[in-house]
Amino acid sequence: MLKAPLRLSGEYRRPDATTLVREVRVPYSETTTIRDGHAILARAGKPERRFALSRAPELAALQTSFGALLSGDAAALRAHYTVDAQGTDARWSLRLRPRDAKLAQRLQDIVLYGGGEELRCIETTPAKGPAQRTLMAEAAQAALRAGDGADVAALCRGEHAAG
Amino acid sequence: MSARARLACALGWLVLLLAVGAWLSQTLSFSGDLRRFLPDPRTPEQTLLIDELGEGPGSRLLLVALHGADAQALAAQSQAMAATLAGDARFGFVANGADGGLDAIPERLRPYRYLLSPTLDAQALDADFLRAEIDQRVQDLGSPAGELIEPLLPSDPTLETLRLAEAWLPARAPQTLHEVWFDRAGGQALLLLETRAAGFDPDGQREAVEAIHAAYAAARGEGSGTIELSGPGAFADEIGTRTAREASWIGAIDSIGLVLLLLIAYRSWKIPLLGALPLASAGLAGMAALVLLFGDRVHGITIAFGFTLIGVVQDYPIHFFSQQRAGLSPWRGVRALWPTLATGVAATCIAYLTFLFSGVDGLRQLAVFTIVAMATAALCTRFVLPGLIDPAQRDVATSLRLQALWRRIERLPRPRWSLLVIALLALAVIAWRPGAFWQNDLAKLTPVPAPLLERDAQLRDELGAPDVRYVLTVQAGDAQAALQASERLRPTLDAMVEAGALDAYDMAARYLPSMETQRARQQALPSAGVLRDALDAALVDSPFRGDAFEDFLADVATARAASPLQPGDLDGTPLASTVEGLLVGGEGRATALVSLSGLHDVDAVARMAAANGARLLDMKAASESLVADYRARILGALALAALLLVATVWIALRSPRRALRVLLPMALTTLLVLALLRAIGVELTLFHLISLILAAGLGLDYALFFEHAGDSREDQLRTLHAVIVCSLMTLLVFSLLALSSIPVLRAIGSTVALGVLFNFVLSLLVSRAPGGQGAGEAMQAVLAPGSASIRSQDGAARTDAGRPESAA
Repeated sequence: MLKAPLRLSGEYRRPDATTLVREVRVPYSETTTIRDGHAILARAGKPERRFALSRAPELAALQTSFGALLSGDAAALRAHYTVDAQGTDARWSLRLRPRDAKLAQRLQDIVLYGGGEELRCIETTPAKGPAQRTLMAEAAQAALRAGDGADVAALCRGEHAAG
Repeated sequence: MSARARLACALGWLVLLLAVGAWLSQTLSFSGDLRRFLPDPRTPEQTLLIDELGEGPGSRLLLVALHGADAQALAAQSQAMAATLAGDARFGFVANGADGGLDAIPERLRPYRYLLSPTLDAQALDADFLRAEIDQRVQDLGSPAGELIEPLLPSDPTLETLRLAEAWLPARAPQTLHEVWFDRAGGQALLLLETRAAGFDPDGQREAVEAIHAAYAAARGEGSGTIELSGPGAFADEIGTRTAREASWIGAIDSIGLVLLLLIAYRSWKIPLLGALPLASAGLAGMAALVLLFGDRVHGITIAFGFTLIGVVQDYPIHFFSQQRAGLSPWRGVRALWPTLATGVAATCIAYLTFLFSGVDGLRQLAVFTIVAMATAALCTRFVLPGLIDPAQRDVATSLRLQALWRRIERLPRPRWSLLVIALLALAVIAWRPGAFWQNDLAKLTPVPAPLLERDAQLRDELGAPDVRYVLTVQAGDAQAALQASERLRPTLDAMVEAGALDAYDMAARYLPSMETQRARQQALPSAGVLRDALDAALVDSPFRGDAFEDFLADVATARAASPLQPGDLDGTPLASTVEGLLVGGEGRATALVSLSGLHDVDAVARMAAANGARLLDMKAASESLVADYRARILGALALAALLLVATVWIALRSPRRALRVLLPMALTTLLVLALLRAIGVELTLFHLISLILAAGLGLDYALFFEHAGDSREDQLRTLHAVIVCSLMTLLVFSLLALSSIPVLRAIGSTVALGVLFNFVLSLLVSRAPGGQGAGEAMQAVLAPGSASIRSQDGAARTDAGRPESAA
């Protein structure tokens, strides 16, 4: 129903061990703060909305996967996903498949792409519909430089970096 | 008649009783409706309470908790059960928290969202509003929950459906884990079901409970876990099962004990058979009378209380058996016994007559049952039993042990002033023991054990059920007027929530606005052309395609033309029962209920209600006033009954002194049992009253027979024998009842057992003929004219008829 796939840019932050902030800057400004089983959604010109993660399993999945990854908590990650690593140190990928049967009905997998110490991209594939990609760091810079013509899928998998 | 022919007749009687019993079990259908056992309501509060008790949605709710497995397995069980039961016609709705409330709005009602939601009251559906909303939708699609939102957008770019679903969420819903409701600790999956059968329809509730257990068994399969059910229907089923289980072992021990007792007492294997016939006939005659007079309105409680009360008739054949002796024809024996027996029966029946005028259907039934049963047992003992019994070979009065016992009893001092002291002490305890005298809590009238009730309260709290004590009501002539009137309360109520007087409220108009409101919203909806222009303007420069929202245009057009939703249109949706529960009424009247959660300032809400034409009902006060009303009626009936009983005994005995001797033990026993119950902190209920009535009836009979025995040594011994057998039987039955796990049965059992003990001792001490006058009065009795015949045996003079002057 959209004229073109939606492309957002912004920042993930982890101000402390229990908080995850997802900030979208372009094309609009929106901040989601996930903490203590709640999410607070702040949008420009709107009052803050606060809701329980139990009512938003997608955000809970974001917290358990992304949050665990950022804090380097492999045990927490393995508690929620089966983890399957591939590639080399220079170009690796981690495939996370949800263990929770209910979440698996919605989410096929999350694949993390990176090189060396750097996480390049998170590719989230829902059970139905196209994958959603979050480019990070160098990959995100590359996408911004390439503008609207960027091949996000290739950037995500690090194909440009390799080529 | 030969012994063989007599036995054949007794067995024939038994077969006849079994046949009548079989017929009755086919014909008699019990009503479990507690309302039959309550007085007619007199205040609006009481009316509402009575409605709520029987058919109200509150009484049809079943609360289910699943535990004993990990959360994910429990969630899967909850889902599987909900899927099975949602298709079951016996349930009005099944809720387990799945679907996040979106399914509360079925597909066919979704276009109505613009009539149901208040969003457009303050906001026109114009280009500016649409553009702002569509901008928000872009952000929604960019959020991690984007895929969830996407399917809704073509028909609903303003997400009105979600807004409605959110608005309809209970103020305090349980937490959702793995997409279903869980308790706060996360260890139990919770489901809420509403049966179509009324709360006190035992068969309907049993079927529902069985369906739930079957669905659970299928959902759990080989897995682990347990299910827990709560709610009125589950209680009714639980109590029924428990009662049946306990009745079977109590009944078995009772039967063995009674047979053994009768065998030891009378040394004849036929006596237990003959002894059971009058009681069985009495019960069946009582039930037959109920069927004829009340049809299918016979209440289960009538039968339960009734059989408790007619326990006294088991004594009638015992008195007859104990008076039997060699050389005396059974017919002469029973004639001698009859005046005393008839006095007891007549006095008690006349007393029960007062229940006929109590104004409570259940008590009327109880009176009919008891009177018919007692009369039947007495008549059976008088006119049938003597023809069936073998002439006695022995006389219990010749028992050496009994004689020794009686000599010891005779040496006991005859209490006079000590009784007055005891009575005053008992009165003092009754009057001054701190603590409530009566148990007014209607919940205590149900035989549900306290732990189950606590668990129920806990589950209700977890499920976020509203305050059960206070409710606001708005009355009007019809449902629409009531909806409108309650809608007008909303601004004030919202202000009270804002001010902290209460946390939240709920009303039918929150789900289904009045037709007036819906029409106003319809008029505010733009026409197809205007809306298309606005949408086109909003979509300029939008990431959405121009034709993305065609479904939306169609839905708004449908909403504009639809006729407003009425309560009946909700049938079959999860909303139906919610609205039904909050909008009650019948012909020519309707009441909108506003349920309140977290009520902090009762007075402020009450004042607000009064100022706005509503009422704040205190259901606790209503139920307590109902119980108090009820008790007042019973006590009134009892006071009258006591007067009638005294008058009957006085007239029958023709002497105030004798009447006093007969009535004193039972009056004193009642005082003592009351004092004892008070002393150990028991708050009295209806069940204690019924038990005290039975105990009084037993005491009256003991006293009458002791008094009747006069000072003839043999008669005294035979009476002692009979009363010992009677009281042992009653003690056995009611002591076992006192061991029951069901509080009500325990209350009845312990009260009656205490009553029997006190009555036995007091009748022995008070009612036996005054000592010290000795042989003179005995001779007087022997020489008195009438039916007395004098024979000599073992050198002792005796009369057959005891005290002939008591023959009516």
